[in-house]
Amino acid sequence: MITFSRSSLVGAEFPDDETVRFHGVQEDHIYDMEIEVDVRIPDGEILRIKGWMKRYTTPVCPKAVDVLQTAVGMSIREDGWDSRIMREIGRKGCEHFAEILIECGRSFDQARMARDLYGPVMQDPTMDQNAFTANWVNEHPEIQGTCMARK
Amino acid sequence: MVLRFLRNKVVEVEPLPDGQLLVTWKLADDLLEAEMRLKVQPPDLEITEAEASISRCPHQECAMAPDLIENVEGVRIGSGLRKIVRGLLEGPEGCSILSAGVLECCNAVILHFTRPGIQARDGVRLTEEEQIAGSRENLKNNPRLVRSCIAFADDSPIMQGLDL
Repeated sequence: MITFSRSSLVGAEFPDDETVRFHGVQEDHIYDMEIEVDVRIPDGEILRIKGWMKRYTTPVCPKAVDVLQTAVGMSIREDGWDSRIMREIGRKGCEHFAEILIECGRSFDQARMARDLYGPVMQDPTMDQNAFTANWVNEHPEIQGTCMARK
Repeated sequence: MVLRFLRNKVVEVEPLPDGQLLVTWKLADDLLEAEMRLKVQPPDLEITEAEASISRCPHQECAMAPDLIENVEGVRIGSGLRKIVRGLLEGPEGCSILSAGVLECCNAVILHFTRPGIQARDGVRLTEEEQIAGSRENLKNNPRLVRSCIAFADDSPIMQGLDL
């Protein structure tokens, strides 16, 4: 049998051209947390964040909801942004909130790429998606050099 | 408002008859679908087997990423894990998604062992003070948790009276 299971869900919507809004949920046998965070697209700055702690293990845990506000002003384009979030939101607040926020940050470029690819694919399902994404990377120098596909 | 991107991740731990733990991890989003399976041998928590596959990916190069996963065989879940795994799987020739997946698998193994202690307190009506006292006892047995979050910070009521 499964003795531990965790599901994480990140959804992205674009309320305007300059903002992406992430909804992040993490639920497992022990914990259940949720956040909603707005990120400014041009520079990756976190503009607004809200959090809900639904299942936790100590009476002190809910105090971590307020610590989430520390994230406002941080940029997910900074070098070491994920370590900073783990340090400032995780260590000083709640590791699970930090994990959800990091997952939202990791989805930042993928969400933008998916948004841009959706229209062309719906218009022509036979299009060369790999060529589209390669071109997308070339047109977005801010994401180059981060992995084998973005050299 | 319609979501323009959706990512779904699941990690599961399953004890095997041979005493090992099988950890399965799956990621599916609009652009990517990836899976990995790790076998972990208690009590040292060494990763004895690791395999991965990517069935949908946004870039042609991503298809080569699963070859990297064998690098984590022999790694033990313990101190320095994050740095070790990142060193083995990330960088300009690496795949941060697989690296994150391995770390999430390892975290799930730790939570597999954490669950019984927390579950043992279920169903017992406790006052807040009793809950804090219970967390304090738990902390004595798991000193690695000290200063790991707000609940175990120096000014937390759980830390009162402890010299850790």
